[in-house]
Amino acid sequence: MTPQADLGIFAISIAAGLIGALAGVGGGILVIPALTIGFGVDIHLAVGASIVSVIATSSGAAAAYVRDRMTDMRVGMFLELATTTGAVCGALLAAVVALASLYVLLGIVLLGSAAMQVSRMGEESPPSDPPSPLAARLRLESSYPDRRLGREVPYSARRIPLGFVMMWIAGLVSGLLGIGSGVLKVIAMDGVMRLPMKVSSATSNFMIGVTAAASAGIYLGRGDVDPQIAAPVALGVLTGALVGARLLQRISNRSVRLIFLPVLVVVGLETIGRGLGFGL
Amino acid sequence: MTPEKFRGVVSTVLIVGVGISAALIGTGFVAALAIGWQGSLIGAAHAIQPSTTDFGGLPGRLAALEPAAIAQLGLLTLLATPVSRVAASVVGFALERDRLYAAITLAVLAILLTSIFFLR
Repeated sequence: MTPQADLGIFAISIAAGLIGALAGVGGGILVIPALTIGFGVDIHLAVGASIVSVIATSSGAAAAYVRDRMTDMRVGMFLELATTTGAVCGALLAAVVALASLYVLLGIVLLGSAAMQVSRMGEESPPSDPPSPLAARLRLESSYPDRRLGREVPYSARRIPLGFVMMWIAGLVSGLLGIGSGVLKVIAMDGVMRLPMKVSSATSNFMIGVTAAASAGIYLGRGDVDPQIAAPVALGVLTGALVGARLLQRISNRSVRLIFLPVLVVVGLETIGRGLGFGL
Repeated sequence: MTPEKFRGVVSTVLIVGVGISAALIGTGFVAALAIGWQGSLIGAAHAIQPSTTDFGGLPGRLAALEPAAIAQLGLLTLLATPVSRVAASVVGFALERDRLYAAITLAVLAILLTSIFFLR
């Protein structure tokens, strides 16, 4: 890598970290194509760098989100039980499942939920009903401080069993395909469990680092993590994530949705493209 | 332990992990710009690794202050940060006397460690 290329990778990674921190995703969707198409990096090294980028986004942003009570740690830990078991199953199944059609299917699901996002665009926070007995028992009810609204916003998780299953599928898919782990988590928490958008994004951010760490050993062992690529990516993403984490509190749930929506559409199209054999 | 304190501990684990790894990766990166990834900051003659993706022989290469090795240690620290966060949460929930969540978190930690060390 020339110093110019290093600088370019660093700059793009800052953007990936910033968007990732706000949207609750890892930034792999930006990092991988930028590295392979923009800088001619081998796809394996690009994926290795993207795993590093996910962990950097997650840890960098979550430090602030946990402290500021944006992350719901109980929701996060409860659902990590589903994502980690799903990811292990996915990694084990990867060798025996035909992946092409799965990519296309995932892409269609993502584009479908993009349409759902549009229909929810006007909603600042989900209606607050009294918590269900299961939510109360699992303590999946809380509140977060919304600086934009200037008050505490109470919430409780709905449809917990369905959310848990969705999370298991999110883990399975990311274990199988290595992508989409963040977007599926946000969709499950926002769309199925009806948590406020900012809490969904911050909690997804908290969780994706763990999902990525579970598979990091595999990529390290394969020789896919090259400091020549991963170092400027990690430094850039951390910078972007730290800035993004300061922003989330100040912007509206609607703005978070506006950032998440294009991410969702791009991942959906990229995923369908991969399934149809356009290498990215 | 109060929920506030618990959050503080988890947040601190993440900040320390990110801080140490950023410092190491940054040092390795800047040093690499000056002397190349596989040079040695103290001018030690050492066996050059076949490539920078090889994490083998890390202690020896760290002793020679090789930029790639410094950055690799930083990357390993970064990868260990979410695991440390889960481990800290097990203790935190236990101290909050929330048995259900201590058990859930412990199960996550077990799955995580199993997949890191045994899934290939």
